[in-house]
Amino acid sequence: MGKRSRKVFEETKKNEATKELTDEVILQPVITSDEPPAKQSRWINKQRALIFSSRGISHRARHLMIDLRTMMPHSKAEPKMDRKDKLFVINEICEMKNCNKCVFFEAKKKQDLYMWVSNCPRGPSAKFLVENVHTMSELKMTGNCLKGSRPLLSFDNAFDDEPYLSLLKELFIQTFGTPNHHPKSQPFFDHVFTFSVTDNRIWFRNYQILEEDGSLVEIGPRFVLNPIRIFEGSFGGPTLFTNPHYVSPNTHRQLIRRQVAQKYINRVHAKKSLDERKPEFTYRSDITDDVFVTIRPEDNQQNG
Amino acid sequence: MVDFHHSSDSEAADSDEELQRAFAAGKLKPGLNVVVEAPKQSINNVTGMKQKLKELQQGLDWVERLDLTNPPAPPPPGSNETEGTEGSGVAETDNDFKRELRFYRQAQASVLTGLAKLHKLGIKTRRPDDYFAEMSKTDDHMKRIREKLLEKQQGIENRDKARKLRDLKKYGKKVQQDVLQKRHKEKREMLDAVKKFRKGQKDKLDFLEETEGKGKGKQQNRHGKTDQPFQPNRKRQYKNTKFGYGGQKKRGKMNTKESASDMSGFSKKINQGKPGKQYANKNKKGNKNKRPGKTQRQTMKNRQK
Repeated sequence: MGKRSRKVFEETKKNEATKELTDEVILQPVITSDEPPAKQSRWINKQRALIFSSRGISHRARHLMIDLRTMMPHSKAEPKMDRKDKLFVINEICEMKNCNKCVFFEAKKKQDLYMWVSNCPRGPSAKFLVENVHTMSELKMTGNCLKGSRPLLSFDNAFDDEPYLSLLKELFIQTFGTPNHHPKSQPFFDHVFTFSVTDNRIWFRNYQILEEDGSLVEIGPRFVLNPIRIFEGSFGGPTLFTNPHYVSPNTHRQLIRRQVAQKYINRVHAKKSLDERKPEFTYRSDITDDVFVTIRPEDNQQNG
Repeated sequence: MVDFHHSSDSEAADSDEELQRAFAAGKLKPGLNVVVEAPKQSINNVTGMKQKLKELQQGLDWVERLDLTNPPAPPPPGSNETEGTEGSGVAETDNDFKRELRFYRQAQASVLTGLAKLHKLGIKTRRPDDYFAEMSKTDDHMKRIREKLLEKQQGIENRDKARKLRDLKKYGKKVQQDVLQKRHKEKREMLDAVKKFRKGQKDKLDFLEETEGKGKGKQQNRHGKTDQPFQPNRKRQYKNTKFGYGGQKKRGKMNTKESASDMSGFSKKINQGKPGKQYANKNKKGNKNKRPGKTQRQTMKNRQK
């Protein structure tokens, strides 16, 4: 026992020594309970993003979600939400989790992935269809970066042209940008998130900064966001914008199926129309034409 | 049957009941069996969005946000890429390489401006070499990536090697063919020369010497014998030259273009001189060495005894 206590004593002594070395703030041995704790004034931008999904998401979507969590040190996780629950429940979950931004993945039909990005209590929120997902764990993307280092956010010029895009840009900056001096963040800049608009969709890429002269390597993940709707509130409220170019995956699949079916239908129609066009008699002859035809005896003999 | 398209998402099959309801609502008209509703009006509430944007903005410093809006960086001067690809939007979307390159250059431009901005603010951007921290991809994963890269490289190298070998084989075959052709050509020439010599067109055997010389230089080993593994004996060789060896035997005595126009056997002296004289001359000259007649020989024999 004596030995052990001595050991503990030595350890505490050591800790004190290291504290003195690192020049940290040494707490008072006795403090009053109503005294406010010393604040870290440097961490101003307190964004917290809740990243979670509904039940029934595919493995790829799940990996994408995990990748986003690793890339965003200011993110929080939450168990998958039941499909039956209404979406505005998410607002309450965010409040409970002390989050003011939310990225919610919603899976439908076990194949279509939708993503909600929302500013939690007050809105706005946007719903996207997520297409072309490639996760960080794919071996094609060779880059790597510090976990929790702050990304630069690069936007296309198109984001300033359209009002809905500038609104989305602001939402993305606040959601995906890591706050300065966040406790879990690293103080260096070694990757960049790229958002660019092509084909009425927003393409997301994540590059590692290899050298300061601008040579980059892709880290991943990569995905394409097809905007569907922007709401004024969080997960609801009046619609501010709907995308006229958006075609729902259901309709898309239906069109493809119809195109395939069209081949057969065309063939059947062609057959039917041929039958309809075919005349019943090639030449309509009169029976009375044969009445006055006489058979001569020579003909009869030849035949007989 | 009657087709009725809903513009809404419902995919339910058209039932009679539905059709009846549609008819009651006045959507179905006689003589018109397809009613397509006008496409949905898309909403674009610009004022609302601007107001919301203002509400959302926080008015923080750039350091807190790190956002950069810029066009893609210009292509490097060495590349033959054309700028201003705005027009070919669809083509660029479908062309993976072009699209990715555009994203890459956009990121590049942002990195250059962003890092410069940070440096101006006096913030360090580079991680020191001895600064170790958890990475977003684990070491295990990076190892796998490296292995994959190596494998890929190896694959490319192997393919290159195989291709080179194939090319070499092809080249070797060609060389062999060339050599064979050359040999055939030499042989043909040689045979031609021999023919000519036999017909008397040529009176020197220098072509033989040439080839012999060549053969000696090339093929003699230290025993002074030729390297050719099989050679017929002298007698056979002579017979070969006399009667020919191999090749076509028939039509050998037929006239050919060459033989018909062959004038080697023609001599002005003999063929264009006076008929009787030449023989007389020749006989006189030639009689000297000629064998004497039989009786004379017998008398000569008796005389010796």
